[in-house]
Amino acid sequence: MERIVRMRTLTAAATALLLTTAPAFAGGTPSTGSAQLKYKVLATVRAQVIPNYMTGFGPSGGSGSGSTPAPGPAAVLNGGTVDFGSAVVGYQYLYKYAAQINVQTNDNAGFVVYAEGATDLNGSNPVPTPATFPLAQTLFWLVNSSGNTPYSSATSFNRTSGTPIGLNGVNGIDYSGTGGIPSAGSAVWSSAAPGNLSRGFDYQLRLSGATPISQFDVYIVYTVVGN
Amino acid sequence: MKRTNQLALLALGTMAALAVFSQADALQSSKTYKTVYLTVVITPSPAPVVMHRAVPPAEVAPVRGVAVAPGIARLVADPFGGPLQVASSGSAWDVVPSGLMIAQAVTAQPTPVPVRFIAKPDPNAMYLHVIPHTSMLYAGYGTTPFACAYEVFTYYPTTHSLVDWAYGTTNTTATGTYPMMNYPTTSYLSWAVPDLAATFHTFANSGTPGEKTWSGTAGQSQQHCVDLKIVVPNSQPPGSYPAIVQYTLVVS
Repeated sequence: MERIVRMRTLTAAATALLLTTAPAFAGGTPSTGSAQLKYKVLATVRAQVIPNYMTGFGPSGGSGSGSTPAPGPAAVLNGGTVDFGSAVVGYQYLYKYAAQINVQTNDNAGFVVYAEGATDLNGSNPVPTPATFPLAQTLFWLVNSSGNTPYSSATSFNRTSGTPIGLNGVNGIDYSGTGGIPSAGSAVWSSAAPGNLSRGFDYQLRLSGATPISQFDVYIVYTVVGN
Repeated sequence: MKRTNQLALLALGTMAALAVFSQADALQSSKTYKTVYLTVVITPSPAPVVMHRAVPPAEVAPVRGVAVAPGIARLVADPFGGPLQVASSGSAWDVVPSGLMIAQAVTAQPTPVPVRFIAKPDPNAMYLHVIPHTSMLYAGYGTTPFACAYEVFTYYPTTHSLVDWAYGTTNTTATGTYPMMNYPTTSYLSWAVPDLAATFHTFANSGTPGEKTWSGTAGQSQQHCVDLKIVVPNSQPPGSYPAIVQYTLVVS
């Protein structure tokens, strides 16, 4: 990673140059010379996440449940919620084009993208007992591909060990108490190159028979960290 | 009776028999099905641990005198002593710019993605449902058993049977993927219903319809544990491998 402190080095070098030339100014005699300055640009990382990023987004699967899945009302193209709509307990679903993350960085060493749930699944309407249901082994992610199915191999999202910001993590996750970055196991994308890069993800929902009947919500928080 | 009549009668009889058996087949139908999603996680077998008796520390040998360059020794004694070092000295660096490093992670956290679903009851759960217990099968090399990895419940008002097969497998020459493989290669995952029999069976991996797990009489409800046994050959690299079992309730 490019380091901010290297900018300090540039400052130090410039200061040193001034120090060496200061006596010459004091004496009123111009002095010329050359200075070698090596500097590096401050690394920057910017990122955006676009839910439902492509036409055709939405759930499929649930074969044998007797109902046809369809996106819920909160899902809109290029925004909104990854809304699976109604999902039958005991079945599996695939949500195509769930989220696309765009990263812009000048960091020559690349970056890592992490994704975690700000909380477990929060039940409402009706509120189940307990009010939450484990996110792990329920909601999964996989890199978008035309061959993905509700049964494709996928990786589970996990609840963060950081601190949710805002109600249920609506404003993200604070990692200051956990070393500043998410846990290594929550990495979803690692790139060794800089630039303007994008990657799309599908989500998979596996509702075990133990899932309570309720509406569930969770915020998935993406964090990009320069290498 | 003429020979032609006899042949006609034989043909008629054959047709009638075929019709009866075909009807019997048609009377059986798939009521519903459920999938059990398992993940086999192969971890390297633990290395043997040998406990050694604590040995008292040896006497520390006296430190020998080490010749240190005078410049280094002076800097160690007084890091801020002269002469003044500058960042530029001709074409060489006295103070290398990259010498100072402070780790500082550059991060970005865009707006979180809200996810929602409404969990609905399964209308067929009263006939067939699965109660998972162990979906992650952590296994070292060799054979690892999992007692009651999940339970399966069946009920139907008429005679019925439960059928299982390794989802995604076919009867082809392709070997398939670990652990289920494709017939005729034997699956590395096997099952037993200890309530009914202690015998383990490798999962049927030649496509649908699969194999009969158990049968039920009219109105019979039953719920049984399914034990699993996974074999990890030494040639299989560590990692995670999905294994999907589909259970179908066939009713008459």
